[in-house]
Amino acid sequence: MGKKNWVMPYIRQYRYLLVLAIFLGFLTILLGGALMFTSGYLISKSAARPESILMVYVPIVGVRTFGIGRAVVSYMDRLSGHSLVLKILSEMRVKLYKVIEPQALLVRSRFRTGDILGILANDIEHLQNFYLKTFFPAFVSLVIYAVIIACAGLFSLPFAILLAIMIGLLLFVAPIVSLFYTKAKNERLKKTRNELYYQFADAIFGINDWIFSGHSSQIIEDIQKKEHQFFQLEAKKQSFGNWRDMANQLVLGTIVVAVIYWANGLTVKGVLSPMFIAAFGLAALSLMESFLPLAAVVSDMTTYEDSLQRLEMIEMKRSIVKQRQEPHESSNDSSNLIEVNHLTFGYSSDDLLLNDINLAVSPGEKLAIIGRSGMGKSTLLHLLQGALTPISGEVIIGGRDVTRLEDSITAYISVLNQKPYLFHTSVRNNIRLGSPQASDEEVIRVAKMVQLDEMIQQLPQGYETNMQETGQRFSGGERQRIALARILLQNTPIVILDEPTVGLDPITETKLLSTIFTTLNDKTIIWVTHHLIGVEQVDRILLLEHGKIVMEGSHQELLKREERYRRLYRLDRPLQGKI
Amino acid sequence: MDKALFTYKGVKPVLVKLAIITILQSGTIIAQAFYLADAISSLYRGDLFRAVIMKLAVFLLALFSRQLLTVWKKQITFHFAAKTSENHRDLLLQKLFRLGPRFVGEEGSGMTVTLVMEGVLKFRNYLELFLLKMINMAIIPIAIMLFILTVNIRSAVILMIALPILVIFLVLLGLAAKSKADRQFKSYHLLSNHFVDSLRGLETLKYLGLSKDHITNIKDVSDRYRQATMKTLRVAFLSSFALDFFTMLSIATVAVFLGLGLINGTITLHPALMILILAPEYFLPIRELGADYHATLDGKNAGKKMEEMIASESGEQEMEAVPFWQTTSTLAVKQVNVKYHDNKRAGLKDIEFTVSGVKKIGVIGASGAGKSTFIHFLGGFLEPSSGEIWINGDRVCSLSAYGWQRQVTYIPQHPYIFNDTVFNNIRFYQPEASEQEVREAAENAGLLEVIQSLPQGLETIVGDGGRALSGGQEQRIALARAFLGNRPIIILDEPTAHLDIETEAELKETMLKLFNGRLVFIATHRLHWMLDMDEIIVLQHGRIVERGSHEQLMKQHSYYDQFVKAQEGDCCHG
Repeated sequence: MGKKNWVMPYIRQYRYLLVLAIFLGFLTILLGGALMFTSGYLISKSAARPESILMVYVPIVGVRTFGIGRAVVSYMDRLSGHSLVLKILSEMRVKLYKVIEPQALLVRSRFRTGDILGILANDIEHLQNFYLKTFFPAFVSLVIYAVIIACAGLFSLPFAILLAIMIGLLLFVAPIVSLFYTKAKNERLKKTRNELYYQFADAIFGINDWIFSGHSSQIIEDIQKKEHQFFQLEAKKQSFGNWRDMANQLVLGTIVVAVIYWANGLTVKGVLSPMFIAAFGLAALSLMESFLPLAAVVSDMTTYEDSLQRLEMIEMKRSIVKQRQEPHESSNDSSNLIEVNHLTFGYSSDDLLLNDINLAVSPGEKLAIIGRSGMGKSTLLHLLQGALTPISGEVIIGGRDVTRLEDSITAYISVLNQKPYLFHTSVRNNIRLGSPQASDEEVIRVAKMVQLDEMIQQLPQGYETNMQETGQRFSGGERQRIALARILLQNTPIVILDEPTVGLDPITETKLLSTIFTTLNDKTIIWVTHHLIGVEQVDRILLLEHGKIVMEGSHQELLKREERYRRLYRLDRPLQGKI
Repeated sequence: MDKALFTYKGVKPVLVKLAIITILQSGTIIAQAFYLADAISSLYRGDLFRAVIMKLAVFLLALFSRQLLTVWKKQITFHFAAKTSENHRDLLLQKLFRLGPRFVGEEGSGMTVTLVMEGVLKFRNYLELFLLKMINMAIIPIAIMLFILTVNIRSAVILMIALPILVIFLVLLGLAAKSKADRQFKSYHLLSNHFVDSLRGLETLKYLGLSKDHITNIKDVSDRYRQATMKTLRVAFLSSFALDFFTMLSIATVAVFLGLGLINGTITLHPALMILILAPEYFLPIRELGADYHATLDGKNAGKKMEEMIASESGEQEMEAVPFWQTTSTLAVKQVNVKYHDNKRAGLKDIEFTVSGVKKIGVIGASGAGKSTFIHFLGGFLEPSSGEIWINGDRVCSLSAYGWQRQVTYIPQHPYIFNDTVFNNIRFYQPEASEQEVREAAENAGLLEVIQSLPQGLETIVGDGGRALSGGQEQRIALARAFLGNRPIIILDEPTAHLDIETEAELKETMLKLFNGRLVFIATHRLHWMLDMDEIIVLQHGRIVERGSHEQLMKQHSYYDQFVKAQEGDCCHG
């Protein structure tokens, strides 16, 4: 459970506001009780036919005050509760961001869930409800409980104990029993729902396979069966809730009867005037009702567990990043911009992803890396950026060990990857992210370089058009060009291209590559590519296999020397030499 | 009020049943108040507790019956809601399978899954809550009002006047809150999305060296979001404030008037107390109506969306027999046109060709030329708006006919891998295949090595909920399915473009082996495939512009020739 990190600190931090919110919640219920109390008193007193209306003037004022006061306080209570929760939400967001930020480059490879980041953001929103729907009401009920028992204790100790036990049924027994019952049920419901989810995903995503196989009625039947199972579970849970609520109501009725009995006893003894029987009876009716929703609310607590667990997990992963070993001090003054020496990496020493890689790249050199997926290409890139720490060996950029560069690495390396993210803001701001100080003229200059200026000018609001509202208007190639413009502003000596053309059609691809190589002419480029379109433009090609460089040379050299390369090239460019 | 509600199957008997129970329930509410007030007032008069035990027992009995009726009502609505939403879901699923992948693709597969999974639950929830609330609202206040009318007209009038005022304020404030929220919507939306946007773009921010500074930005925006939300809430909560305020004020007023009546002797304690107990019950249904408003709105919209989808047009699948494809078979397509209803995409125009027997046919063209549409037409995923299809000289109504589709293996760019074992994934089309046959197919598809590397071999669970496979491995599973299914026609849509070139090279060999002795259509950008084709169909703007083998097309100095040269690129002649 992640309560330790994601719930308690905020409770501590905002204890005063929390006390205020709980106090207001308490006051709301108390005023409701007071309204019924004074009303009951008022009419009992009136029933005694006092000579003048002035005799009941105080209760009349009381009834109005409590009535209006309850509405006002309840309004304030809701506002203060929400305000507090939004404050906590804001802090949790910052915290989550700080947790994820250091591992930003690795999150995608660590979690298979497509949109883990979106899910985490939702988890935080979900935790809001924990405060509003579970935490506040539970605490308010406890306070009310304490006050009621204390007040009863002033009159009679045995009655206070009896009341403590009876209300305890509503306040402790029902919620705890229900928590235990629903915990197991919720677990099974979640499991069934997951299975259902996969079945649905199979049905919808695999729809053409079902149609072609001719047994699509099978999956519908399967889903119905599973749905039925799910429904049975839910029906049981629902019916449990119904009967529990009913039992609670009966307890409530009994408490009211007990209160009347007790108040009557006091009047018989002469401690109280009979006017108070109605007052106590009505107040009890109103106060007890505030305890009723508690059981349902508490049994929902299990639904927060998933969110907490996920948040906890992402926090644990952070520690993996942090274990930095002391980097070697290197005495490097060669002319190479990037030097990779005996670089070895793996998550365990018998399963190495990279094994003794050596590489030197001089300023302005253009390098292409090819190889199958899972052969260490992305690991190498992560090591070059200092996001991973090698088992042994080092990466030296500009004469310094990258693991020491930490965040200043972005002054050396910029990255264009497969799916550059475009933010929910204007086109201009998206480009300007490359260099926040850039003037409008500079933004336009780079937009012209990537050949987008004309297209952007034609948008309804030009450079001010919101990126995401344009929806489909930006094609894959155009999105890459925006990201490229960003990189031009960032103006780093090294640019990493991480398969930027996957998913583009060949003509778009060729054009994009041509723009990339023209605009980045003076930069050092490390380009990971899945096929060979455009490789003629680089100075050197590396083939990575099983964590080693198995082939190295310029395009012409490799064509001459390596049969394997010739074969791949023929596949990629079947008509070269034939035209 | 939702009119659709009354059209659901079996809603009328349910409503009648609920109405009867609610009327009974109103009786118990009144009885509850009556006997509690009776007991208290006789105690007030100085009666012994023993004398009122019976009255209190009746009070408890009334309370008990009332709750019992509530449980009954909840069970009825629960089952009705479950049945109705279940019915919707079944219709929706059947519809989806009839509309096919094309429709699902347009709606977004993820969207569709969410709609079926979440939407159905929300809809059910809505039905459940709304029916109860509606019936309570319609009956309980009126019953209580009528009863009070027989006891004390003045109190009844106060309550009667209070209710419409309450509703008017509720509506006015609701509208005010909505217009305020609408005015703020844009900035509100932007602010609330800012965090998700930041998290999703974190990798990019990191590359740009902005990720650390962005923390202050997040804090800033979150605070602005809080302020904006609080502003809206201040107005939004006013409606429940008004509800509270008027309820409390009415109860207080009733209490004061009852007090005056008692002093003047126009009423006695028992009815006065009873009215006071009933007053909150009178307002309860309307207060409940306001709660969970958004949840019900969501559910209502989900229901509407499902009904729209169910109502959308689709043809029944033709069960007509299509002769089994043999080396002597011919497929002739005449003057086929495909139009998209949104008119944004080109579709297909005057498609005409004939193929026969065993043949490999490449489909090529620039992006947007209609390659995918062509493939989807062949697979029977979309119906042409005009044209004729002939197989072996017999006219066939549609390629979505079961008889055609069961002869076809379709392999898309990303074949779907089911959440199941590798074994079951391979024999998806032949669920009765033996392990021996599956192993053979796996071997043919070059999957054996992959299977050996998996922890449980053939029994390893793959797919979204299991072990992840690479793009190349996914294609191999699809190929194994095809080898096992052994269908005479294969249709492929860009099967290798996203793979790294070595994987592509290996897969190509396997695929060529699979193509032997079958009719193959392959749409792709990758030119190397064209050298292995018997015939190439070149598409431009939805029309077939050229047909012929690679050699034939290259010689003519044709569109194909230009296209190929453009694609090979002028930048690349190093």
